[in-house]
Amino acid sequence: MNQIICLIDDDPIYQTITKKIIHKSEAASKILSFPNGAEAIDGLTKLVQQPEEFPDIIMLDIEMPVMDGWNFMEHFQKIKTIFPKEVSVYIVSSSIACSDKERSKSYNGILGYFTKPVTLQNVLEIAKS
Amino acid sequence: MKIENKWSKITGWFISRPRLSTFIVFLALLVLICPLVLQRYEIIKENREQEMSNILHVVQQNLNHSLKNCYTTTISLAMIVNDNGEPENFDALAKVLVESNPTIDAVQLVPNGIIKYTYPNNPDLIDFDILNTKSVREEALETIQKGKIHFAGPLKLKQGGLGVIGRLPVYRKGKFWGFSAVMVRLETLFKSSGINSIKDSRYYFQFSKENPKTGRTEFFLPNKENFADKYFQVLSIPDGNWKVYLISKNKYGLISEIRPALVLTVLFCFIFSLFLTSLLKKPAELQLLVHDQKNKILNDEIKFKSIFDHAAVGIAHVDSRTGCLIEVNDQYSRMLGYTFEEMRNMSFRDITYKDDLEENLKQLERLKSGEIRELTIEKRYIHKNGNLIWVNIAYSPLWQEGEEPSSHISIVEDITSKREAEDAIRKSEIRFKSLFEDSPIALWEEDFSYLKNYLEEIGLIGKNREEVKAFFDANPEVVQKCITLVKIINVNNECLTLHHPKTKEDLIQRLGDVLNNDSMDSFKAQLVAITQGETRLTIDSKVKKTDGEYRDISLRWSVMPGYEETLERIIISTEDITARKISEEIVIQSQKKMESLINTIDGIVWECDYNTYIFTYVNQKAEEITGYTREEWCSDGNFWANTIHPDDKTRAVNYCAIESKKSQQYDFEYRMIAKNGSVLWIRDIVNVIYENGKPVSLKGIMIDITKSKEAEKDLSNSLELVTEQNKRLLNFSYIVSHNLRSHTSNIQSISTLIETAETEEERNELVKMLQNVSNTLNETMLNLNEVINIQTNINLIIENLNIKDNIDRIINIVSEQIAFKKAVIKNNVSPEIFVKYNPAYLESILLNFISNAIRYCHPERNPVIILNSYIENDKTVLEIADNGLGIDLTKYGDKLFGMYKTFHENPDSKGIGLFITKNQIDAMGGTVSVESEPNIGTTFKIYFK
Repeated sequence: MNQIICLIDDDPIYQTITKKIIHKSEAASKILSFPNGAEAIDGLTKLVQQPEEFPDIIMLDIEMPVMDGWNFMEHFQKIKTIFPKEVSVYIVSSSIACSDKERSKSYNGILGYFTKPVTLQNVLEIAKS
Repeated sequence: MKIENKWSKITGWFISRPRLSTFIVFLALLVLICPLVLQRYEIIKENREQEMSNILHVVQQNLNHSLKNCYTTTISLAMIVNDNGEPENFDALAKVLVESNPTIDAVQLVPNGIIKYTYPNNPDLIDFDILNTKSVREEALETIQKGKIHFAGPLKLKQGGLGVIGRLPVYRKGKFWGFSAVMVRLETLFKSSGINSIKDSRYYFQFSKENPKTGRTEFFLPNKENFADKYFQVLSIPDGNWKVYLISKNKYGLISEIRPALVLTVLFCFIFSLFLTSLLKKPAELQLLVHDQKNKILNDEIKFKSIFDHAAVGIAHVDSRTGCLIEVNDQYSRMLGYTFEEMRNMSFRDITYKDDLEENLKQLERLKSGEIRELTIEKRYIHKNGNLIWVNIAYSPLWQEGEEPSSHISIVEDITSKREAEDAIRKSEIRFKSLFEDSPIALWEEDFSYLKNYLEEIGLIGKNREEVKAFFDANPEVVQKCITLVKIINVNNECLTLHHPKTKEDLIQRLGDVLNNDSMDSFKAQLVAITQGETRLTIDSKVKKTDGEYRDISLRWSVMPGYEETLERIIISTEDITARKISEEIVIQSQKKMESLINTIDGIVWECDYNTYIFTYVNQKAEEITGYTREEWCSDGNFWANTIHPDDKTRAVNYCAIESKKSQQYDFEYRMIAKNGSVLWIRDIVNVIYENGKPVSLKGIMIDITKSKEAEKDLSNSLELVTEQNKRLLNFSYIVSHNLRSHTSNIQSISTLIETAETEEERNELVKMLQNVSNTLNETMLNLNEVINIQTNINLIIENLNIKDNIDRIINIVSEQIAFKKAVIKNNVSPEIFVKYNPAYLESILLNFISNAIRYCHPERNPVIILNSYIENDKTVLEIADNGLGIDLTKYGDKLFGMYKTFHENPDSKGIGLFITKNQIDAMGGTVSVESEPNIGTTFKIYFK
């Protein structure tokens, strides 16, 4: 499938790894990445003009500097309306706290919660839905 | 009669005016005696005159004699002049003449007026021309004129002195020849005449010469003053134109003679008149006396008459023998209804009620016989209209003792009303008696007068209550004596029933027995009441019935009105209150139980007025719990509000006010300040009490919940602490797990990828990544270790560190960075400031802040870092201010010191520095705060403990 997947995570190693995995899965045609929520919002805003560049899937980390995952979601909800397409957001975090899981359910934009490490299967799952 | 009358009138007039009469008499006498005096005066005057004329006569005679001598001498001298005009034997003759005549001093022959011959010889005189000398001429001529001897002078003599010259004109052959003269000195003249020798001091002489021509008069004797106003007699001697005066010295000389006589006279008159006065006075006085007496008698009569007429009691003048009414006054007739006319012919027997008449007469006989001198009886009179009136009659005899009875005065008083009143009293007394006797309450009538006297004797009356009480307590024998002094006048039937004595007398005797120890107190109370002058007393006491049974009685002791001073009549009532006492006791007991119940509740049971909030009741616990006494609780309506803690006051008071308006029970909590200042937590449960639908009071319980509140607080504190710890722990563990997990998950992923790596290149890449990750993991572990160490380190080395020095050291350490970034660091910390700190921590903290400040400097300017220190709220504060990028505190404020939180895109920032720093500061007991503005700068403030 040719979906554009967006990674928002501050860990560069993780980003590298995940990119590799996504490559292996051949689920995405393009991978975007942002080191934190702020940049992600900026980037997405810029890409609004280019619907074909706009990601379909966002894999969102929670613990990030400047703007963390939840903050991002707040902003995301606000600017969702101007997005050219539906974006599926998945939380990918090393946190296993139940509170985070619960919180993720409160956002109706978040379709799933995955804990790191992200496996190939996870990616395929994400890509399928 | 008439004359007599007239005479007595006149004398009366005189008598009644003694002074005037005296005066008149005085005058009269004076008038009478004056002529006598006058006469005497005349006599004396005559005498005087006689005397004077005698003297003068003598003088005259002498003078005449002398002058005669002179004349004869001159004649003799003239004889010697012969017809030729020649004197013969002048000297011899002259000598003889002069010697034989002592009065003559000198002789002269003056032919033709010229002195030719003198004896004694005086040459000065020779050839002195008399006729031509002016001074003597006149007189000489006069001599010639007269034709006989003429005496010239007195004149100044050539020889000196004064003298007279007698000249005889001598004619020879029918013509004037000259003079023959004699010279007599004046003194000689005077001497011979006897003028000088007058010894009588009353008169004096004056000798004058009158000049017929000129009319001038000369005086030649001393005392030449004018004597015209004096009495004098004159002797004139024409021979020389002389006058001899005999003058009386005193003008009033005569008067002085009679003066004593006059005085005597006046005195006599005066004395006589005085005598007369006193004589006259007597009758005058008598007259006055008589007049007075008459007046007095008149007055008395009037008085008596008016008394008689207007007395409020009936007065009758009665003939004692017949009993007839001689005279009665108005009241009497009014009393009996008859007029005086009617009564005149009546005797008292007619109007006396027949039943009383016999006794009346009997008594009167006694009076008449002299057995008694006065009599008072009560009897009935018959009024004109037939009614009987009771009267009280007092008889006073008008005859003297021992005399025959003549008449008497009866004084009659209408006592009808009094008698009626007496009857009424008697009736009521009977009633009272029966009341007394048959009263259901035991009554005693007692006489305390002896007792009162005794108490007075021993000086207890009027002493103060406490003294008296103490005295009685200390002296039981006195009390015993007092008991014996009480006299029982009477007891009623109930009393007898109560005490079951055999008879009244028996009871009266055994009063002492009736009063036992228990009733001693009530008796003492009676004694005290007496000493305090009280007239009533109510006291509960015990009494022992004669059968030995004890009863409770209420004893009422009261003094009958009118007997407050003497205490002769006291009424004591004893009411059997045994039953009442028992029920009282029951009530008291239950009250006590209630009270103790209330007091055992561990809370303040209170009741207060709904409106005023004044406490009407608080139990004992109130004092135990709050320290305020029950009196203080109930003192005023503000007590409750004032004891509430000021912080809770408004809330509590308002809540109470609001809730009280509702009719439900409510409770609330607040703090109260106890008397000793400590704070109590109170839980107040309040009920509103209604009466007739209106709220009247509030009732409730206040429970001391201080302990439980404190426990609560401790608990909540602990809870807080634990929660905090938990939170931190959770946080920490969360962070830890997250961070570790990210690395481990990476490792996992990488290792999985390595397995599925397609190329060697890829594998190498992956291996390198693995290395990276494991390094990072290691670092993280170390960081976490550090953090744990800080949090759990209990044995920190504390040293006294100088902040300034440490800062300088750090500046040194980061000097490279400083140089690189061209930073300016100002260390304004005072070198005096020291803190007790762990040196490693301090270094780490300072390093972190300073390097942060350098790292996060603003790209457009050189970093300027200013370090300041000061004291704020007793804490040492270190302030680190920079002008760097600043932090958006609104976004990141709470995450600033969190773990692994970074806010700027700085590759070096790991997000640990501030976290560790904060932990270190916390471990040392301080705090850190931050102020920042994006793009302006940041200021960190570290508070040292």
